[in-house]
Amino acid sequence: MRAHVAEPWVEEPLQRFVEETRVLFALLLQPSGQVLGQFGFTRAVDVMSACALGAAIHASAGQLGRELDGHPFREMYHAGRDRQIYIAEAGTARGPLLLLTAFDAESSLGLVQVYFRQLRDALRDAAPPQEEPALALAADFEHDLQRSLAVLFGGARPVVPGDPPPVHPSA
Amino acid sequence: MSTPYEELLAAVTRQRGVAGCLIVSEADGIIVDANVQLGIDAGLVGALVASLYRKARLGTEAAGLATVGFLQLEAVGGHLLAAGRDGLVLVTLAEPRAHIGLIRTAMLQSVGALA
Repeated sequence: MRAHVAEPWVEEPLQRFVEETRVLFALLLQPSGQVLGQFGFTRAVDVMSACALGAAIHASAGQLGRELDGHPFREMYHAGRDRQIYIAEAGTARGPLLLLTAFDAESSLGLVQVYFRQLRDALRDAAPPQEEPALALAADFEHDLQRSLAVLFGGARPVVPGDPPPVHPSA
Repeated sequence: MSTPYEELLAAVTRQRGVAGCLIVSEADGIIVDANVQLGIDAGLVGALVASLYRKARLGTEAAGLATVGFLQLEAVGGHLLAAGRDGLVLVTLAEPRAHIGLIRTAMLQSVGALA
């Protein structure tokens, strides 16, 4: 099973991560909740939910870390009865990215942590430079989110550097 | 700083040709304690060997052979040995010239003190 990506530069690192760790699900997203790649999901609505929840958990854990320790918590792990969740942050030239992954007894926290470090390094090396400061417009976010989901589940072409910016109906 | 497993690890690492010894949780692959030479990625070794040991244990149990007593891998560059008890795995990395019999005895004695 292949990982599906919205931006080509994350494909090889994410595919290697899921192959090495044998996780059930993996999501690569921006802290805003916009998805860059996914593995294991079959419905766009599940990706949207997981991205929103993952981004919220990361933001909450970050703030909790600042309150308690003066630094944001960058990794989080939760062990359920059958499945476990791991969320961690990877810094790239495109800004921080989050990995949210779920796994069962076929994998282990140790393996996920080890291969997350490799994923983090691979993403840092593969990330193209930031083209221009992104404006946090709600309309852009909505457009980018729909575009990413269309790429992941609808077969639309991935975003590549040099593509024109989105055009909004109200513009 | 001493740890509860320091003596147990030392009993194995003092054997000739031992490059490192780790105690790893079998379920999650996290290192509990370790004493390894510089240059060895203990986290990677521990996570992978714990996974391997767990699958070997499940395999022998599924085959009706009871649990794994001792796991030994021979590679070009040396030996990788593992023995477990109560959810913990004792992992040893040894050079090709190492006396495996002595290391195995030390490991099995140490495993008896695990958990």
